Amino acid sequence: MEQWVRPEAAVTASLTRRPVSKWKKRLPFFIAYGVLGITTMPIILMYIWLLLSSFAKQMKYGFIPVSFTLENWKFLWTNVEHGGTTLPSIWTATWNSFLFSITLTMLEVLIGVMAGYALSRIEFPGRQMLMKTTLILHAFPSVALLIAVYYILNFLGLFDTLFGVLLVKTALQIPMTAWIVKGFFDNVPWDVEWAGLIDGCSRLKVWLTIVLPMIKPGIAAVSIFSFLSGWSEFLLLYMFIVSDDNITLASYLQKLISDPNLVDYGLLSAVSLFYMLPVILFFIFTQKSLMEVSAGGGKGV
Amino acid sequence: MKIELKNLCKSFNKKTNAIDRMNLTVEDGEFVALLGPSGCGKSTTMLMIAGIYKPDSGEIRFDGQLVNDWEPKDRNIGMVFQSYALYPHMTVLENIAFPLKQQKVPKKERMERAKQAAEMVRLGHVLDRKPDELSGGQQQRVALARAIVKKPKVLLLDEPMSNLDARLKIEMREELSRLHKELGITTILVTHDQEEAMMLADRIAVMKDGKIIQYGTPMDLYHRPSDFFVAQFIGTPPMNVFRGKLIGNHLHFLNQSAELNNEQWNTAQGELDVYVGIRPHEVKLGKGGDIRAKGIVQMIEPVGHAQIIRVNIGDEQLRLFAEPTAAIEYESEITVSFHLSSLHLFDVRTGKSLRKEIMKESQTEEMVG
Amino acid sequence: MGSALKKWKLPMIMLGPFVALIFLFFFLPVVLIVILAFTNMDSAMRWEFAGLANFQKMLEDPNLFKIMKNTALYVGFTLLINVCFGFVLGILTTYYIQKEPVSLVFRTIWMLPRMSPPVVYVLLWLWFFDPSEYGVLNSLRALFHMEPVAWLHEHPMTAIILANGIIGASFGMIIFSSAIKSIPKDLFYAASVDGASQWSIIKDIIIPAVRWPLMFVTIWQFLSLITSYEYIFLLTNGGPLFESEVLALYSFHKAFQNFEFGYGSAISLVLVIIALIFSFMMWKWFGMQKMMRSSKIE
Repeated sequence: MEQWVRPEAAVTASLTRRPVSKWKKRLPFFIAYGVLGITTMPIILMYIWLLLSSFAKQMKYGFIPVSFTLENWKFLWTNVEHGGTTLPSIWTATWNSFLFSITLTMLEVLIGVMAGYALSRIEFPGRQMLMKTTLILHAFPSVALLIAVYYILNFLGLFDTLFGVLLVKTALQIPMTAWIVKGFFDNVPWDVEWAGLIDGCSRLKVWLTIVLPMIKPGIAAVSIFSFLSGWSEFLLLYMFIVSDDNITLASYLQKLISDPNLVDYGLLSAVSLFYMLPVILFFIFTQKSLMEVSAGGGKGV
Repeated sequence: MKIELKNLCKSFNKKTNAIDRMNLTVEDGEFVALLGPSGCGKSTTMLMIAGIYKPDSGEIRFDGQLVNDWEPKDRNIGMVFQSYALYPHMTVLENIAFPLKQQKVPKKERMERAKQAAEMVRLGHVLDRKPDELSGGQQQRVALARAIVKKPKVLLLDEPMSNLDARLKIEMREELSRLHKELGITTILVTHDQEEAMMLADRIAVMKDGKIIQYGTPMDLYHRPSDFFVAQFIGTPPMNVFRGKLIGNHLHFLNQSAELNNEQWNTAQGELDVYVGIRPHEVKLGKGGDIRAKGIVQMIEPVGHAQIIRVNIGDEQLRLFAEPTAAIEYESEITVSFHLSSLHLFDVRTGKSLRKEIMKESQTEEMVG
Repeated sequence: MGSALKKWKLPMIMLGPFVALIFLFFFLPVVLIVILAFTNMDSAMRWEFAGLANFQKMLEDPNLFKIMKNTALYVGFTLLINVCFGFVLGILTTYYIQKEPVSLVFRTIWMLPRMSPPVVYVLLWLWFFDPSEYGVLNSLRALFHMEPVAWLHEHPMTAIILANGIIGASFGMIIFSSAIKSIPKDLFYAASVDGASQWSIIKDIIIPAVRWPLMFVTIWQFLSLITSYEYIFLLTNGGPLFESEVLALYSFHKAFQNFEFGYGSAISLVLVIIALIFSFMMWKWFGMQKMMRSSKIE
């Protein structure tokens, strides 16, 4: 024990050590900002280009606008000619996209809340089994099943209908949504429900007046998430929708892009911006809760 | 190592100072407690001494050397955190050896010294376990061993015992006290538990709103609190307090008046609102003291070696200790008394003590600071 | 009897639509894919069993080696960007930049590509690689008086790896930064008091804390990369020829362009099996029990 008493010698050495210069100390932080700045810059620039290009007649070096015009936004009031044919009105596509996304949101929230509550709170035979299945389906390569889904839609007579694609999209997302909502319910303590029951509410009333309000913020986030996901959906719509009446914004834009004779970045960026509008709006107002949900999506596993 | 804080300031929101022109001297080998309610700035002070927070202005000196800009690792300190902050994926031994590893101590010596430190806190038998396999008390010991393993000149303890149950707390207090005596390291303890501070520390700095209200030995703080806040904060059960008025050298309280000695007490010019304080153990049953009062018994709490009696005197309440054998009945009227000399008087407006000797002391302290 | 029915009624109503959807669009397709893989169904949609013909065809397919190589390259490098760069972003925006508003701005910007509709995101890349002098890369080359390059023709793999890598990096970033943020502050304080260097803090505190998220992101991203082809389809459509064709996209092309549903299903089946093996590994490693425990029923 003796060597423990007042270890003077060991200490004086370190006390005389000079503190490092401020520069060296801050170096890691400068590097951090540098790396982040350099890697983030291209992303910012690309989105700025999208904005500039949509209002520019011509771009110098492909980036600096020469003169401003509203010409590119003409698609809002006239139908775009493309490869000899006329595309349907942008408003048809917008309406379809909106219909698709809003119905998707309602379906997902409704089914997700019901299933989430059942998984979280009700004991029934096969519950463990169902929960495991739900978890597995998170990671299931659903895209690889699209050939079979095509066959099923065909069989049900739902091919080339928005409703058919809606069902597919809901199905692909519902395991994740139900699991997240189940997580919200798990976080509501039983005590709260018991207190409600003791205070004289029925189970349904407790659910409606006490439990549901408690998970409202979570539900709101899930709704936004599924709306945006419906709004952005491309692949399913491209595969299972053929008629122009059912065209959505994603397919509309893709048709423009894939036309080799028409590389009009002005028009393309204007349509893109128009298409991205809800994304941008939601992004600005709800980014915090979005981050939480997208992080929460992975948290379970 | 002697630690001096001079005019230390730190703020987090630019409006109010978390630490406001603070002065504190800790002598070499001393055990000092920073005591105060939560949010009083005691942890901030400690993190500044550790070098994790940098002060906005003022000086921190170790043995006279200015260390404001030194990194924590260059200050040669050991620290125990409230949450223990053990590295979850390392074993107990690896945790304890971690500071040595950072100093590039050779592996063999490192392990030996880590084992030695573990022995000091009686942890020799759990070296290969992970922190989450340990009890709260054991985790605390690991944190302590990790703090002392590099033989620091300063040991900082940030609420180290707030997560332990009452029994373990007492055990750990003894342990800390023993370690401090053995190692003789200058030690600073941050706590909100006045009993803990009283038992462990050589000196206690009572803090409130980023300032030190009083700095002195435990006995000083108990018997001669310079401020109403200190008087209230220290002692269990807490000091009895009545509202009173001081007119000249006449003190009016509990529907009676007493004459104060001009040499002992500062008297008022005209009329002054005061708090009159008396420690429960200074109050006696019966008519033995200078000041007597009649009251109704409201509560009787037996604590083994005594019983604590709560009495209502008019609108005021008073607690006192009575012999465990004394037969006192609930809601009966009893007479209590105490001596004028054991009173504490505080100015309601400033909270300062009106005792002359204490006033003189705190004035000189301020001038030195 | 009556009470058993009553006990079943509530969960049945609540879970009915959920189970129905899963059955219709997960279980049924799996069964169908397995059966289809052994038929040579084409656009006429007739069931004609062909035994192992599709799998034999796969072995003899002259393009398949190239496609497998592409798939490996694509998944490997994209994963590398996803995980490594995601980790770097996570550390930078949480540990090195501790001002929450600043790091939130950076993280938000990195989320932009992820939140943008795929078609828009790909448009940005098409512009970036545009073969004319208006493309980003080519206008940079023009500054040095160099000829424009048809990037998507010359380096299609690089293009699809970059585009997918950046999207995935933001996923890693989110997971890692929330893992790093959940490390108690005291641990960092303790380490700096103990004299830990920057490197040691990363190695001894941050990496052990994100070990599980790291594994999770890797497997999760692997699963989604190996089967998704949306961005590749939009960016290069596997071209030129088969230069950037990956297995999942090939299955899509076979089924919906050549209308060889049987052969497409066989390829899909291979993908599903690979994915299932990895899902199973994930299940084992991450301990399903641990996840299930989070919700107790009283």
